[in-house]
Amino acid sequence: MSASLMPRACRRKVIMLVLIALSILHIAAIILLLAATIDNAWWVTSTTSTDVWGRWVLTNNKWNMTDLPNNYPTDYLQAVQATTVLACIFSIIGLFVFIAQLFTLPKGRRFTISGVFQALACLFIMIAASIYTDRFHTNEKSIGNYGHSFILAWIAFGLTFISSIVYFVLRKK
Amino acid sequence: MLRVLALASVVLLGIAPQASQAITVYTSWERHALVGSDVRLSCSFFSWRFVSEDVSFTWRYRPDGSRDSVSIAHYAGGEPYTDNKGAFKDRVEFVGNPKRRDGSILIKNLDFSDNGTFTCDAKNPPDIVGRPSSVRLLVFETLPIQAGVITGAIIGVVLGLLVLIVVIYYLMRFLVARRVFSLSVSRNVEGPQLCILP
Repeated sequence: MSASLMPRACRRKVIMLVLIALSILHIAAIILLLAATIDNAWWVTSTTSTDVWGRWVLTNNKWNMTDLPNNYPTDYLQAVQATTVLACIFSIIGLFVFIAQLFTLPKGRRFTISGVFQALACLFIMIAASIYTDRFHTNEKSIGNYGHSFILAWIAFGLTFISSIVYFVLRKK
Repeated sequence: MLRVLALASVVLLGIAPQASQAITVYTSWERHALVGSDVRLSCSFFSWRFVSEDVSFTWRYRPDGSRDSVSIAHYAGGEPYTDNKGAFKDRVEFVGNPKRRDGSILIKNLDFSDNGTFTCDAKNPPDIVGRPSSVRLLVFETLPIQAGVITGAIIGVVLGLLVLIVVIYYLMRFLVARRVFSLSVSRNVEGPQLCILP
C-alpha cells in the first residue's frame, strides 16, 4: 500500500511512530554504550570483575576496588578507554543532532549528519571491543568469562549500526 | 591623638607580621626518572623578607620503607656542602641559586636504591618558622606511560578534529554566502518522494 493512498491522519500517526521508534533505538544505544563504558565488568571471574577503569576484587565477602595489574598492555588499555568514551560522546551528540534536524531539515532530505555521528559511534565501539577481544585475557579463557559490559558493547555496536543505516536511508516528510 | 594612632599603627605593623608570617617551601610532588640518568630536584621558598645572607637549605633523604632520614646536602653561609660519606657521595650537586630563592640539587647516575622521599627545608633568617616540603623520587627501568595520557590524547585529538571540521564547514558557508569563494558543485535535485512503508 503506497503512502499516498493512506488517509492523512493515518500517515501522520505512522510518521510519529517511526520517529518515536528511532528515538528509542538511539536512546537504547546510548544507554548500552554508557553501561559498557562506566561499569567495570568486561571480564568476570568468580572473585573479580575487571576492566576497563579498575578491578573489583571480592575479599572476605566485600568488594574492593583495586588498580588494574601492571602486566596489562597500557597503550591498548588506554585506547579501549578512549574509544569507548568517544563512542558515548558521539552517540549523545548524535541524539541532539537528530532532534535538531527534526525541526530544521527541509522536507525530503535525509538525516545524514545524525547518521554520520551514529556511524562514528559504531566505529569507535567496534574498535574498542575488537582491541579488547584481541589483546586482553587471551590466555585466561578457562579461568573466567566475558562480563556484561563486554556483551553490551557488542550489542551497542549492532544497535548503532542499524541506527546509522536507518538515518542514512530515511527521508524527512 | 593622630600622632598616637600613627605610632600605634607603625608598632602593630612592625610586630604583627613577625609573629604570623612563616616561610613556605615548595618542591615537586613526585619525580619519575630512569635508571642511570640524572634528576634535578627543585626547591624554592616564599618569604615576606628579602633573602638574607644566612639563608640555608637542607636536603634530607629517607629511603622507601625506612623511618630515618639522612642529610645529603646543605647550603649555609654562602657555601654548599654535599654528601661525602654516604650513598650519595660525589653524586649530589647543589645547582640552585639561593639569591633567587632556589635551592635545587642535582642527583647523578640514579639507581634503584635511590627510591625514596627527599625533603627540603629552607630557612631565611629571621623567617625560620615553616614546614619542610617533600618530593618522592621513583626510579624506573623504562618510563611507564602515565595513566590516562594516551586516553586523553586520543579523545582530545578526535574531538578537536570534530570541532575543526564544524568550524571549517560554517566558515566555508559564510565565505560562500559573502561571495568570497564560489562553489561550482550544484546541489542534488530531490528524487521522487517515497515512503518507507511497503
